[in-house]
Amino acid sequence: MWIVVSEGDLASLRAGVPSSLVAAGVSLALSPGRAPSVSLPGLVRFIGFFLVHSVRGGIDVAMRAIKPSLPIDPGTVTYRLRIEPVSVRVLFVNTLSLLPGTLSTHLDGDELIVHVLDCRGPVISDIEIVERRLADVFNITLRSPIEERA
Amino acid sequence: MDFARIALTVIEYALYAAGAFFFLAGSIGLLRFPDVYTRLHSLTKADNLGLGLVCMGLAVRSGSAIVALKLLFIWMLVLAAGSTACYLVAESARSAGIEPWTREARR
Repeated sequence: MWIVVSEGDLASLRAGVPSSLVAAGVSLALSPGRAPSVSLPGLVRFIGFFLVHSVRGGIDVAMRAIKPSLPIDPGTVTYRLRIEPVSVRVLFVNTLSLLPGTLSTHLDGDELIVHVLDCRGPVISDIEIVERRLADVFNITLRSPIEERA
Repeated sequence: MDFARIALTVIEYALYAAGAFFFLAGSIGLLRFPDVYTRLHSLTKADNLGLGLVCMGLAVRSGSAIVALKLLFIWMLVLAAGSTACYLVAESARSAGIEPWTREARR
């Protein structure tokens, strides 16, 4: 990462190597627990999913903002999180805010309050898809789908 | 040689224009949407895409893989910062007792 930021300037490695090692050490010391393992195919699928939905989300909100009739119907839904552990939850909560129509507002235990720009669509199932995609990245099995709806 | 350069320049400026369009739309949403939550929607989504497009345009301009990678890092860092800030704003609006605007309340 240092090489990228210094744009391949090898002379800067004298300062870069020690500071990178210190930064990596500090972030390992500060991060809670062990990071979950990452599945490469899951990650690639997730990145593709994220990019497609970023474009859709951007276009969606841009059109809503520009149309004279302002076609929004906002509301909130409560979503019961199935994904573990906490570090992945934080990632999920942040991802949700960047994807079409959803905005994470409040996380309380297992319950996430999501603000929705247009609650006429299939909101809960969209959130479930994001959660499943993210679970694939970290090889996480979600809890049984029977108790998933809140 | 000239044709390839012209094509790349056209792609570059098309990406800037598209990026600028989404920033503009995000700002229009910021002005037109009714409450703090809907405005956050407008900012996070439109800027996510707008910045991504501008970074892609700049990557085309640089013509260098390492600069492109750096721009990708910048984009991801801004996304992480943006969504975290967005959550914090929404969370503090909620704890300040601001009720989300709804169509029903208007009718």
